[in-house]
Amino acid sequence: MKRLTAILAATTCLATAAFADDERIIVGFATAETGFMQAYDKPAQDAAMIRISEINEAGGLLGKQIEVVNADTKTDRAEGAKAGLSVIDQGADMVVVSCDYDFGAPAALAAESSGLISFFLCAESIKAGIQGVGPNSFSASVLAAVQGATMAEWSYNKKGARTYYRLLDTWTEYNKGICDGFDYMLPKLADAKLVGEDTFLNEDASIAAQITRIKSLPEEPDAIMLCTMMPGAVSAIKQIRAAGINSMILNGSGVDGSYWLSAVPDLSNFFVPVQGSIYGDDPNPEVTAFNAKYKEVTGGDPSTQYVYPGYVMIDVWAKAVERAGTTETSAVVAELEKMNGEPTLFGPRTFTSELHHQNQARYLIVETNAGKPGVVDEWTISEPIPVADLMD
Amino acid sequence: MGGLMQVVFDALSLGSLYALGALGIALIFGVMRLVNFAHGDVIAFCVFALLWPSVDAVAIIFAGNLPWYLLIPFALAVGAGLSVLSEVVVFRRFRRANPATMMIASFALGFVIRYFLLMLFSSRPKSISLLPELSQPVEILGARLPLLQLITILVTITVLIGLTAFLRRTRFGLEMRAAAENFTMARMLGVRANRVIMGAFALSGALAAAIALILGSQTGTANIMMGASVMLMAFIATVIGGMGSLAGAVIAGFALGAIATVMQVILPPDARAFRDAFVYGAVILVLIFRPQGLLSARGTKERV
Repeated sequence: MKRLTAILAATTCLATAAFADDERIIVGFATAETGFMQAYDKPAQDAAMIRISEINEAGGLLGKQIEVVNADTKTDRAEGAKAGLSVIDQGADMVVVSCDYDFGAPAALAAESSGLISFFLCAESIKAGIQGVGPNSFSASVLAAVQGATMAEWSYNKKGARTYYRLLDTWTEYNKGICDGFDYMLPKLADAKLVGEDTFLNEDASIAAQITRIKSLPEEPDAIMLCTMMPGAVSAIKQIRAAGINSMILNGSGVDGSYWLSAVPDLSNFFVPVQGSIYGDDPNPEVTAFNAKYKEVTGGDPSTQYVYPGYVMIDVWAKAVERAGTTETSAVVAELEKMNGEPTLFGPRTFTSELHHQNQARYLIVETNAGKPGVVDEWTISEPIPVADLMD
Repeated sequence: MGGLMQVVFDALSLGSLYALGALGIALIFGVMRLVNFAHGDVIAFCVFALLWPSVDAVAIIFAGNLPWYLLIPFALAVGAGLSVLSEVVVFRRFRRANPATMMIASFALGFVIRYFLLMLFSSRPKSISLLPELSQPVEILGARLPLLQLITILVTITVLIGLTAFLRRTRFGLEMRAAAENFTMARMLGVRANRVIMGAFALSGALAAAIALILGSQTGTANIMMGASVMLMAFIATVIGGMGSLAGAVIAGFALGAIATVMQVILPPDARAFRDAFVYGAVILVLIFRPQGLLSARGTKERV
């Protein structure tokens, strides 16, 4: 009983801290400032900061300036929970957590148990939201499955691909998510055929045996659906091309960026879905303007499309706060869940009471040709992937 | 025929990597009973030594731009240098410590190297085009394989022949073998311990650098964790080869490469994700029937 009282006292304390200050709105970043995840959290966080300063310059949110508090998760799950509590203690109205579900969940759960909204910077698992954290948790990115489904449907319709080979790196949920989306879409495409499949591990020094299997097919497949991420992706792509396989290679957004292309000189016939283009050729000129602003603030160009969800996150949250007229959690969540095709710089966003993530999204298709990446098309999958299909 | 040869080449090239790694570990274990878990981090360090320190996404290639005849000696020197340095600075102080203490020290050293790299380069994997001329396919005996795969096999065979000649034909090699057999006795007979141990570390470091070059040009990636998986396989190879037995380590390294490749070929798709479980299962079987390893070094047997 004593302990319960203590917990109650503590929660009340937190709650008063959170609501005590009416003069300002506070966004708490419980993200990695050091360690492995820092390289993934920092760019999206910089983009979020850009949107925050835009809002502040335009007069703030509900007439108040947005302030930011930080706590370092040190890329550690236990530290993540502490970082979450720390920003809540500092009065955060909304808690931003690490890009990845596993690393962001502890802080998101801390926010959830204090009755606050949490946003994953760019997690692409369905667990980053209602399903894995609770009813007040959201992700700013798009589900990995949508990426696989997009590449399957687009290549079928626009590239005439009919025979597919599926190569899955079993390292992460993200990778499996891409292939799940591909598996969902493929049977819906008349006369598209899976001619073979294989798995590898991201850290495999060599995927020679997997490549031998592709080469022993009677005919080279039209497309290889490669469900993997950095750093193994570079290795796999390099080895596939070094073995003389020229099929089109389809991927998830995790391999976006030109920073690694030097490892596979003159790469061609290589396709990636992206939320916005870092290559200066986005169909929306405002994205290019954002890229310039990002460079001005951080001193470098965005290195991948994973910068953009940070901007989208603050954008949709601020709109919901504006519409609700308060930062109070249930009102803001209700406004977020009303968003249906809400326009953002990086395509429309939808949240429902069932899913706080995107199960359909507009993607730009980036083709790398002779080592030069550029936007060649855009595609939105014909129907959203049902939540039931995403759960297995 | 072509298909079978393809599998043989795949197995040989993966086995070569493991064999080189196992040899690097067995050499040091032979002379000072140290399982050097920092070996994997030495591999990663050798790749990063080719880059200029920066935390940007795009790697700034530095020594990696050297022509191959300078690049290879440079990398080997870095590996050997770091390895010798670790002996002088760290392991020399543990010479009389028990093997478990030394092993913990090697873990600690590995962490220091890894976090040093993290500090200079960040956790983001860097891309590097190392020896790009090796990424083209060649046709041999009906199998089509990347030139690098062929070179890896040839380099490993050359290293093995060279090392055998060195150990059997030179005075230094003789001293090293004597030290591996019975260190105290060898010292009493006039073998200079420091020289032999430093020699073993230098060789081991150079082998790590060779792996770094192969991994770097195969994967095109520099990653602070890149040595870990090869290190694990190499360590297992030294155990099933018989701790301290150089020939055993090499044979076991090739055997592991072959098992991993064959498993990938014959397992049904659903089981392939668990390939490593089957590989480790085979390792357990070997150890049940030959707990001392395939070839046990004479010096490590208990004497009655």
